[in-house]
Amino acid sequence: MHFAWTVKHKPKSLAEIIGNQEAIKTFERWLRSWEGGIPQQRAVFLHGPPGVGKTSAVEVLANDLGMELVEKNASDYRTEEKIRRFAGSASQYGGFSGRKRVILLDEMDGIHGTVDRGAIPTITKIIKNTRCPIVLIANDFWNKKFVSFRDKKRYLVIEFKKPRTSELLSHLKRIVARESVDADEESLKFIVQRSEGDVRSAVNDLQALAQGKMKLTYDDVSWLAYRDRKDVIFTVLRQVLYGKTCREAKQAANNADVNLDMLFEWIYENAPYHFNVPSELVDAMEALARANLYSGRIRRTRNWKLLRYMIDHMTAGVAMAREKSKPSGWIPFRFPQKIRSLSTSRAERAKKRGIGQKIKRRMHVSVATAQKDVLPYVKVIFENDSQMAAGLTEWFSFGEEEVEYIAGGKRRTKAILKLITK
Amino acid sequence: MSFEMWAEKYRPKSLAQMVDQKQIVERLASFAKSRNIPHCIFAGPPGTGKTTAALCLARDLYGDVFREHLMELNASDERGINVVRETVKTFARVRTLGEIPFKILILDEADNMTRDAQQALRRTMERYTRTCRFILIANYSGKIIEPIQSRCAPFRFSYLPRQEQDLYLKRVASGENITLQEDGLNAIFDVCEGDLRKAINSLQAAASLGKPVDSEIVYSVVGRANPADVHSLIKTAMEGNFVEARKKLREMIIKYGVAGSDIIKQIHTELFRIDIPENMKTKLAVVVGEVDFRLGEGADEEVQLSALLANLVEAGYQLKGG
Repeated sequence: MHFAWTVKHKPKSLAEIIGNQEAIKTFERWLRSWEGGIPQQRAVFLHGPPGVGKTSAVEVLANDLGMELVEKNASDYRTEEKIRRFAGSASQYGGFSGRKRVILLDEMDGIHGTVDRGAIPTITKIIKNTRCPIVLIANDFWNKKFVSFRDKKRYLVIEFKKPRTSELLSHLKRIVARESVDADEESLKFIVQRSEGDVRSAVNDLQALAQGKMKLTYDDVSWLAYRDRKDVIFTVLRQVLYGKTCREAKQAANNADVNLDMLFEWIYENAPYHFNVPSELVDAMEALARANLYSGRIRRTRNWKLLRYMIDHMTAGVAMAREKSKPSGWIPFRFPQKIRSLSTSRAERAKKRGIGQKIKRRMHVSVATAQKDVLPYVKVIFENDSQMAAGLTEWFSFGEEEVEYIAGGKRRTKAILKLITK
Repeated sequence: MSFEMWAEKYRPKSLAQMVDQKQIVERLASFAKSRNIPHCIFAGPPGTGKTTAALCLARDLYGDVFREHLMELNASDERGINVVRETVKTFARVRTLGEIPFKILILDEADNMTRDAQQALRRTMERYTRTCRFILIANYSGKIIEPIQSRCAPFRFSYLPRQEQDLYLKRVASGENITLQEDGLNAIFDVCEGDLRKAINSLQAAASLGKPVDSEIVYSVVGRANPADVHSLIKTAMEGNFVEARKKLREMIIKYGVAGSDIIKQIHTELFRIDIPENMKTKLAVVVGEVDFRLGEGADEEVQLSALLANLVEAGYQLKGG
């Protein structure tokens, strides 16, 4: 069984939470104050960058204080009615077992200022009458849509900050020790640096790279350089794909804390899933193609003034492709495959090139032709006929790794190599 | 038992063994006989025997030690002006010992050389004519600069006619003891259209399945081995599955390294073959042309071709009466 390490190695006690000790103390004091009756500030607003332990703090504290945690996140309370359904009644009664209850509204950034109109007023109304503590969590407290929570009399606002790199580093070290992975310091430092203080993404990265391995080295991690802060990008993507006005969509380019090329890849990857009417799909993809054309021109001519047109097309151009359709159901956002395949296949391409060179030596063709016109047939042979494959391995003098690449599997590779030693 | 790629194993060793390109072979044989050759350009589509002819000529001239008098360079692997300056010059200027006073330099895929590199080559060719003869191999002689063309004897290779390809394949099949059925032969010609290297590779890959080679096996093997299968790309898009089509496109470009310009060229050809209304063909051709133009402007291959795929999705939708 594989668990997400972010879950498996989640802090189980306050001592295990990294950093933010002051913030957590303030939060704890507030929660305890409920034991003496309903305080004036009936809700707390925890804010801070993604993955710094806001949700974890709530979970650990609720557990420590023996409280029942009722947890919901963004997609659950987009509309007024949904919020009322769960939070309204929950906030009026105690827990089933007579335990005190905490209500957590996580990922408030997901509420859309205009589309989900009514959501925020409903929440404030519920808070006004709640009989149990309500915790709100968002990344960007200063966003206009949260302006009503700035009232200090009603809401306690606590900021969570990024942990120090040394704290995060020792956290990762603890995890690799528990997972018995031999990771070198360099690789962990790189992950920490990449994460920019986001503990969750650091742990996710660590798992993606280290799970099932005995060793983790710097080479294994360097491709991470492409990864971006997801939580923020999702908000931006929504703005582009579902923006109603050009202004709203174009705003995305400013809000995104990824560079423009990366933002383009995110939009390009995800747009097709969100436009299912063919005419809209064409408009969206054409808009992206035009943006890409400008990007090419900028690169060639160094004329940065053209950047604004690239932005126009990739944001507003895509948003305006939507005429009426709205895809039904929840469509998850995807990490740009192109970036992933480019970075993960770098080693693969090097291997393929090596194979191409060996084919070239034997068959009087260029490396490119070898890869394109010969290798595919060799691959078919390797997948089907071990005997012939073994002979060809010797003839081309392929190495073991190359055989594995061509045959596409450890078992076939073994079968082929066995025939050679005979 | 020993194995090698059949395309290599059955590559003719001398001009006399070449069954195709008769007129060219005759002229080359007369060169070999007179023990003198001019600079040559071998132009023609892939798999039509250009490299083979050059190697055969060299062997006929020098005998079994031909490798000592021969250098094979592939311009698409080492293009650029420096390679020509250094490698070629070093090879070309040293006289060989032997009764034939010149060496041969085979420059494959010469049409991939930059113009600058070709200019440099032209001077080298002129200067070292006495010690070295050049055989330039290219798909399109038009991409070779005029001054070089005028210094070379041109040879145009063309696709093998059906009979000659069949003859070759049957020879290989009997040499390897495999059953090649008539419809298998048909299928190979259908997909390879006289490209002999592709034909022999297809035959070998098909034979690796260990069954008599019939059309079904050939098509399945060729489908697997041909990353630039634009037919299925177009089909997937026109059936309305954009995401899947884009995935295929991505595989072609990233995994198999097919050039965007090749894909667009093939889509263009395919477009006029498929069964859609005539006016739709021209409408789509407009989009294809625009994409091709943009690729020349330095735009990204995948993004631009994706826009084309979206257009195909829409076209397919209209066909269904949407």
